[in-house]
Order: sequence, then structure tokens, then C-alpha cells
Amino acid sequence: MLQPKRTKHRKVFKGKMKGNSQRGAQLVFGAYGLKSLDSKWVTARQIEAARIAATRYMKREGQMWIRIFPDKPITKKPLEVRMGKGKGGVEYYAAVVKPGRIMFEIDGIPFDIAQEALRLAAQKLPVRTKFIVRRDLQE
Amino acid sequence: MKSVEIQGNERTNFGSKYAQLERKAGNVPCVIYGGEAPIHFSAPTLAFKGLVYTAEAKTAKVTVGGSTVEAVIQDLQFHPVTDQLMHIDFIQLVEGKPVTIDIPVKLHGQARGVLNGGKLKSVLRKLSVRAVPASIPESIDLDVTDLRIGKSIRVSDVTPEGFEILNATTAVIVTVKKARGAVDDEDEEGTEEGAEATAEAAAEAAAE
Repeated sequence: MLQPKRTKHRKVFKGKMKGNSQRGAQLVFGAYGLKSLDSKWVTARQIEAARIAATRYMKREGQMWIRIFPDKPITKKPLEVRMGKGKGGVEYYAAVVKPGRIMFEIDGIPFDIAQEALRLAAQKLPVRTKFIVRRDLQE
Repeated sequence: MKSVEIQGNERTNFGSKYAQLERKAGNVPCVIYGGEAPIHFSAPTLAFKGLVYTAEAKTAKVTVGGSTVEAVIQDLQFHPVTDQLMHIDFIQLVEGKPVTIDIPVKLHGQARGVLNGGKLKSVLRKLSVRAVPASIPESIDLDVTDLRIGKSIRVSDVTPEGFEILNATTAVIVTVKKARGAVDDEDEEGTEEGAEATAEAAAEAAAE
């Protein structure tokens, strides 16, 4: 699973997810992409599940790019522990995804296979998504 | 070079508030600069279909207030969620003044490496070119017939005629990657040579 090698701060604030994505909203590498329509934390586990679902359908053909990285540490208190006594330990890492963010890109496979692969990937994600195609794509 | 004709309405009110009103009316706010004075105009979104949603490099002949200006796209803005066209920057084509434009790369022929089971991978679909308006190429044509598995065509291999390529000279444009079950070109050559040698030996033996 994706995870930072080292972090500047062990724990971070929750933060707000206001507005649309300011970066990473256009296709850069591939011909097809999966764009988020919601704001959510996408966990490293969900990204990995989506990647496996898509690459399995692509049968190792083509190339895939992951455009999000789970760099936000999410903490959790242990079960049956009273409130207080400090913040819990880091449980997992998540990526902050806002509307418009391209999460995955694919290239080197036909349109219908890319569409189905990204549909399967989208099922593993907590956000509503949209399949997008490069604007100058010629089939 | 192909061009698209656009009928634009001159904009007198500027700023995000008026630009938003234009978008609500189904128009795209645009600006042309690089000439004597900047020209602000708007045109229906559909008018840009053949200019923006295409792989070809085209110029735009924009008619605003009775005068026609030839320009090329400098920058595009899209809405991050809806991908709606928000704004276009054009740069005016002035005789003798060089402009920077992205020109598509067109590949011709069947690569030798592909015939041996390799996979052709186009890395750079467009090249950034700087040229005067008269010598802007329509496309950059590359012949990939002699491209073997593992070989590539780089920017330095392209000979520009009347224009300058701004991409790094070492950047790969197209390459043939080795795929599963591909035959190495060297092996193939070896077998060809081997077959020729055997045929010659057989012919000599028959003559004796």
C-alpha cells in the first residue's frame, strides 16, 4: 500500500475540504482517466483495491498512473478507551480528494476496456466518479 | 495550416463577474494579444469545437467588429469538475514575429520492431515549436519503418525546416518496447544469416 517514507509531523489536524480541486484536474499522462466528483478522504487501502481491480481487468496490458498519494496520517483511539489521555495513534494514511481531482489515468488500451477497468476501480472508491477521455484522442 | 473561422462579439465589460455572465449565456470569454492592442471578445462554445477538441494544430480566424485577426491558441482553461471551456488566450500571428505552438507528431509506416512482436509507444504526441507564422508546420512527420525493438526516435533526430523545437534534445518521441513473445532483431538477423550460409553450403555440396 502507498504510504509516506517519512513525515515531518507524526499527526496532523483533520482540516477542511472546501471547494474544487485546484490542481490535478486535467489528464496529463494517459488517454483516459477517472475524475472525482466528491470531497472525501481516500485511504491507501482503497487506492490499492482500485488499482488491483483495474489492472486485473486490463490483463497487464497498457499503463496506469495513480495521481493521488495518501500522505495524510489518520489517527484512531483504541477500542473501549475513555476519552482524553491524548490523541490516538496513527491508524492509516489517506489522500484528500476534492471534486475535479483525477485519481487514475490509463493509456495503451482500447476505449471499452479502459472504461470497464475504471468502472471496476470506481466501485472500490468512496467518491462518485466520472470517466474522462483526452480531448484530442483519435480512435 | 488549417484554420477555423470564429465570429466573436466584442466584450466591453471585463472581470470575473461579466465573464461568468458570458458563460451562463453559453459563450466562452477570450482574449487575443500579441498585436497592437489586446482584443477581448466572446464566442459560442460550439464555435471552438473544431479548434480545441482536435489533435491537429489549427489557426483561428477571428472576426470581431468587422476586422479579422489570425491567431493561435496560447492557453486554455477548463472547469475542474465539468470540464467546460472557461477561457481561451490567443496569440496574434504577426508577419515575421515568431510564436510558440504545439505541433502534433504523425507516425508513418510499420515499425520493424512491431513486426517482430514489439510494441510501439508514442511518448511525445506533440512537440513545442517556435516559428514565424509563414513556416509553422502542420505536423511533424516521422518514419518509424526502421525502428527496432528497444530503439527510439529522439527530438535530436528530427530535422526542423524553418522552425525551432523547444523540447529537450534528448527527449524520446517514439520508441518500440519489448513485449512478451517478441523476437529480438539480432536473433532474427542471426537466423537469416545462418539460413543464407546453410543454403550456400548446400548449393556448394550439390555442385561437388
